[in-house]
Amino acid sequence: MSLLAMRDVRAGYGPLEVLHGISLDVEPGEIVVILGANGAGKTTTMRAVSGMIGRQGQVTFEGADISSTSAEKIVRLGIAQVPQGRGTFAELTVEDNLRSGAYVRRDAVDADIDRWYEVFPRLAERRSQRAGSLSGGEQQMLAIARALMSKPKLLLCDEPSLGLAPLITQELFEVLKKLNADEGLSILLVEQNANLALKVAHRVYLLETGNVVASGTAAEISSDDSIRKAYLGA
Amino acid sequence: MDRFFQYVFDGLSFGAIYALLALGLVVVFRGTGHLNFAQGEMAMFCTFLTWQYNSWGAPLVVAVLLGMLTGFALGAGTEVTLIRNVAKKSEAGVFVVSIALFLGLNSLAAMIWGNLPPEQMPSLFPDQPADFARIFGAVWRYEYMGILLVALVLMGLLFLLFSKTKFGLAMRSVASNPESARLVGIPSGVVLASSWGIAGAMGALAGTMFGATTGELTSGLMFSVFIYAAASATLGGFDSPGGAVIAGLSIGVGEQLAAGYAPGWIGQELRLGVALMTIFVVLLFKPSGLFGSVKVQRV
Repeated sequence: MSLLAMRDVRAGYGPLEVLHGISLDVEPGEIVVILGANGAGKTTTMRAVSGMIGRQGQVTFEGADISSTSAEKIVRLGIAQVPQGRGTFAELTVEDNLRSGAYVRRDAVDADIDRWYEVFPRLAERRSQRAGSLSGGEQQMLAIARALMSKPKLLLCDEPSLGLAPLITQELFEVLKKLNADEGLSILLVEQNANLALKVAHRVYLLETGNVVASGTAAEISSDDSIRKAYLGA
Repeated sequence: MDRFFQYVFDGLSFGAIYALLALGLVVVFRGTGHLNFAQGEMAMFCTFLTWQYNSWGAPLVVAVLLGMLTGFALGAGTEVTLIRNVAKKSEAGVFVVSIALFLGLNSLAAMIWGNLPPEQMPSLFPDQPADFARIFGAVWRYEYMGILLVALVLMGLLFLLFSKTKFGLAMRSVASNPESARLVGIPSGVVLASSWGIAGAMGALAGTMFGATTGELTSGLMFSVFIYAAASATLGGFDSPGGAVIAGLSIGVGEQLAAGYAPGWIGQELRLGVALMTIFVVLLFKPSGLFGSVKVQRV
């Protein structure tokens, strides 16, 4: 059974339909990457999963229908989204950002906070600084750590590389890959940097103006000539 | 010097009332980004209700607590039924709604209680002419001391709520970034309704304590208090609870000093002018207020 399954999902903003019937799956323990140009509907797909926008069609998580579940409840089920542009709580300290990430949990969270400080030592150094004062890369780390504080089974990551230096991006992708390998965290990743994304992906969906136009394993997609030309610039 | 201490002391007590109402304005503004023009009228309405509970036989303390509960319900109910739905369609609409609430509550209070014989709001504290202590030569009325004390304790509790509890963290998260707050599973609707509710409850207490100092209750009870509170929130910064408290107390003292030391020039009539001038000057020269944050975004 797929961890996440979307079947013929339509979604958009008001009268504007952006997704015209998307179907995709994320299996437990997979990193799935959605590639596509600007305006293809990548972010809208993420928002349709996390419940931030209304959607028609079927979205199931661990077999349960979540297509009309609210965003707040979906977090409780085990899906955490790192929004595009990071969306950290700028006025709150780094530590409070992490604590608010654990909002849905009832158990003790201090051990987990320390754990993410170990993974992202730079956050530990800045734990009592306001998140708004962090650099872009640090904010992205914070956004990911905050999402992980809810102990999700599926992490939605919306263009983590946006506006970051290549070296920082590399570092972030290493962390995501390690989380996936060591703990079986499933990840649905939206990325414009196709070369980088294909290195970590197990499977790939290609989105074009709100439709899935191709899908396959990372190897299949990388070796497809027409896709290489359109998305990999080679 | 006696006069000075007298003005400062009286100013602190009234300032505490302004601060309570200003804190309500700030809590609402931080949560939803709206200035609730009906804040003062909600407080006035709840003050009448407190009086009503008391005259129906509830002991005063119970009546005050019931009044605060009603204030919470009135605030939260307003957010859930009116503000939230109007805000979806138009931000300017919220402004109009809060003005309409201002007028509506004012008229409603006048309609319900206006034809009764004058209502005297009893005080929570000893308020006979002889109930005072003399400190530094100034008359410190027990009632004013009580107001200051209760307001400070309540504000202290609120700051604990904001800074130490999970609910406070949720409130700060929603104020900082509503979208991200939903993404971490915070039910922002509950948080926003509670913010309005807390503001309503504080207003009810402020109104009740203020009403007891003025003698008769009228539907105009909170007009001037609201202006002072708005000036306090502007001076302190609309997103700074601590700023609202400090500014509220300062404006209370400033108003007493101005009226007391310049009786011929400012006197009783121009006190409100001091508050309005504060609003103008702050908005002109430091729109974020003394303690408000200027939004800076790094990318």
